[in-house]
Amino acid sequence: MLNKILLEEILGIALSGGADFAEVFCECTRNGRTVLIDGKIESVTEECVSGVGIRAFRGTSTVYGSTSDISREGLIRCARGVAAAMGELKEGARVHLTERIFPNIHPARISPSSADGKYKCELVRRAAVAATEYDSRIVQAAGTLLTVDRTVQIANTEGLLTSDRHVRSRLMLEAIAEEGAEKQSGSCRPGRGMGLEFFEQFTPEMIGKEAARQAIVNLGASYISAGKMPVAIESGFGGVIFHEACGHSLEASAVGIGMSEMCGKLGKKIANEKVTAIDDGTIVGAWGSVNIDDEGTPTARNVLIENGVLKGYMIDRLGSRRMGMPMTGSGRRESYIYEPTSRMTNTFIDNGPDKNEDIIASIDYGLYAKSMGGGSVNPLTGDFNFTVNEGYIVRNGKICEAVRGASLIGKGAEILQDIDMVGQNLATGQGMCGSSSGSVPTDVGQPLIRVSSITVGGR
Amino acid sequence: MQLEAIKKSLVEALSRLGIDEYEIYYNSKAETSVDTLNGEINAFSSGERGGICLRVLADGKMGYAATELMSEEEMESLARRALESALITEKLDTVGFFRGSPEYTPVAAAAAAPTATELREGALRLASLTYSAGERVGEGTATSAFNYSFTVRLLNSHGLDLEYTAAVSAAYAEAVVETENEKISDYSVKMLTPDRESALQAIASEAVSRAERKLGAKIPPSGRYDLVIDASAMRQLLSTFSSSFSAKAALEGMSRLGGRVGEKIAADCITLTDDPRREGSPMHIPFDAEGVATARRALIERGVLRTLLHNRETAKRMNTDSTANASKASYSSPIGVRPYSLAIEPSETSREELFATAEGGIYITEVKGLHAGANPVTGDFSLESEGFIIRDGKAAEPVKSFTVAGNFFTLLSEISAVASDLDIGVPTGSVGFGSPSVLVRNMSVAGE
Repeated sequence: MLNKILLEEILGIALSGGADFAEVFCECTRNGRTVLIDGKIESVTEECVSGVGIRAFRGTSTVYGSTSDISREGLIRCARGVAAAMGELKEGARVHLTERIFPNIHPARISPSSADGKYKCELVRRAAVAATEYDSRIVQAAGTLLTVDRTVQIANTEGLLTSDRHVRSRLMLEAIAEEGAEKQSGSCRPGRGMGLEFFEQFTPEMIGKEAARQAIVNLGASYISAGKMPVAIESGFGGVIFHEACGHSLEASAVGIGMSEMCGKLGKKIANEKVTAIDDGTIVGAWGSVNIDDEGTPTARNVLIENGVLKGYMIDRLGSRRMGMPMTGSGRRESYIYEPTSRMTNTFIDNGPDKNEDIIASIDYGLYAKSMGGGSVNPLTGDFNFTVNEGYIVRNGKICEAVRGASLIGKGAEILQDIDMVGQNLATGQGMCGSSSGSVPTDVGQPLIRVSSITVGGR
Repeated sequence: MQLEAIKKSLVEALSRLGIDEYEIYYNSKAETSVDTLNGEINAFSSGERGGICLRVLADGKMGYAATELMSEEEMESLARRALESALITEKLDTVGFFRGSPEYTPVAAAAAAPTATELREGALRLASLTYSAGERVGEGTATSAFNYSFTVRLLNSHGLDLEYTAAVSAAYAEAVVETENEKISDYSVKMLTPDRESALQAIASEAVSRAERKLGAKIPPSGRYDLVIDASAMRQLLSTFSSSFSAKAALEGMSRLGGRVGEKIAADCITLTDDPRREGSPMHIPFDAEGVATARRALIERGVLRTLLHNRETAKRMNTDSTANASKASYSSPIGVRPYSLAIEPSETSREELFATAEGGIYITEVKGLHAGANPVTGDFSLESEGFIIRDGKAAEPVKSFTVAGNFFTLLSEISAVASDLDIGVPTGSVGFGSPSVLVRNMSVAGE
């Protein structure tokens, strides 16, 4: 990481084009990837991401420069480039930094960067073996262990100098089942903001079996017929519905420039009163948790919707300037090459008043979406889509045959009103969320919920 | 540290570890972008990065390590990490490092990139053209002008030393149009050709007309429709399912095209080519990630699958020649397989002629959520879409919020016609996709 005197000098240069704020983000991240295919360790790769991003603001106009050349000359050249892009060069102001240390509430017990490579190979192999042993129709089990050990340092012209280390681990298993000419896949991809100790509680065997089970279910499934119907969406990754249908529309990057259907709705009822939704970057060891965001602001538990009423947005530093509202610890970026923006951390619909069995029993004919895939949304209109990885028809209040090929589409504002039952088994699922500041780890979550009516695409 | 100095300390470190077979893959990138919002510049961004991916052969296996940290100590550590990677890897390497192709056809030098000042002027000009391209263009309208370039240098212990640079300049407009009860946006992105003003005008008018045409869109009734899939949407579908053409995916059981070379897999009107020097594409690539000289390949010829895409390893396993499609997803990734510019060849038929045979059908202009709603292994897709009802041989009233579902491989064999309007998109990284509009009958649509 960079020393204080050099950081003060660089910040001074970055201000010299007439900026009213400047920030330096320095990163050294070690990303590890162990891949197993056909029962053999196929590749073991490790990459060191190392570089600096320098940002300057004048009002809400921003300049961002990044470089992997972290020599003194490289940093000064980058800072001068930022200043020159902002405006005519003047004498830079003196910047005084004071170091602040935020407590690490997500410490890793088994650090992936110091763990034995063979141990990591074994974790992936155990998952793949469990998948192939689950059923003779599993013809392929491809596993990947991803580990991230990220150290960041952030300094800005408000005097902040801080650093943080963040470790995360994820094991992803994709199982392919084959019967005759039919080929279907299933996957399980849990991860945490933890070291390899995570796989002591969520064992590789559990991951392998779950992926295989899903592939086998899909092998026997028929295509769903399209139409509008009630849908029960299971807990865990089912929370992607809120992430896509509403979460993105509550990010300052959309709200701050008037490009969200959620603009001007603070204090208004935007969802069914059973819906309370939260973005919480402080959950210990969660996939989307960090001690501080990538602008140096501590993360927080931000209530977005309480009993159906919009309570808050997710706001980064630039969004805070645009909206005149405080930052919420939501400024995130994939790496130093990206300018940070408002992003989600761990976002979920909280437990509600309904019993899970009552939710299924309430549906005469509809879809039970046990496992969801990803989706996307247009924040301006709220139009969203997402896909069902494992689904079942519900008939007369009972879960019946498996169906595949379903996708759910709708409009964010409408679906929030249509979530009319909220169950009590809150759980989360892990995703990588892509946006203008790159791909960042986010948790989605919810208990079992019912959407009274939604368009189900099928054939 | 300069690359030559880095190389020297790396080679010394490798020698100390007793490694005599290695490859040094150096990749540097530079990018600049200027964004406007509501007609004013609101962001300027510029970045440069460079990294080394080291591959070593030890114990008959391939080891990898990569870094952006260019220091002598890091080179020592890089060599050790690559060695450790080779030792714990289990797959035996069968091809080693490449000794070189007999001939490398040089690619045309990349056109001079626009300067930062030219990008500023371009982004502002585009904003002004976008605002004047329609009466209802409103707040939130954004533009961006950007360029990126990258250089690859590949050196190995057999004495191979190759280098190329490729660059793209492009601009983007997102037009927001407002009426009393609707606010919607659409965008257009195109390469910046030497005649910049015409390129900017084309982007502005396309973004605005796309957005305006969507006003008042309704949900169509569910049912089966003949579809004309627009070139840009078909290009996205092709991109999503392109991994099926990888021999690596086939060998791993992740492609339905495994073992089907020589078979009819698509309609007669489908010819699919991969061309590392495609006309109109800015990305001309002379050699692949292993150093093999690239060439144009026909993957599907009049419906018949002629070859999959290979690197040296998959070619050896399938007893054929590499098609020079070895790739790295990022500079630090293991060798995989990827196309350069994969496109369905156009016909002489106009899109309007396709409309004329699809009365009452839907012209699909956009498909969304492809990363989730499409399964590259099985070919199944179910995608939120937008478009227009086809009436009197024209794109008539707009429709939205419906899904189109089907299977990509079934679709390929059921395409009844392709149009002449080949659209090669702006490449993502070094890979581009292209397609003309296509006509396919009797597809399932879920709407109202």
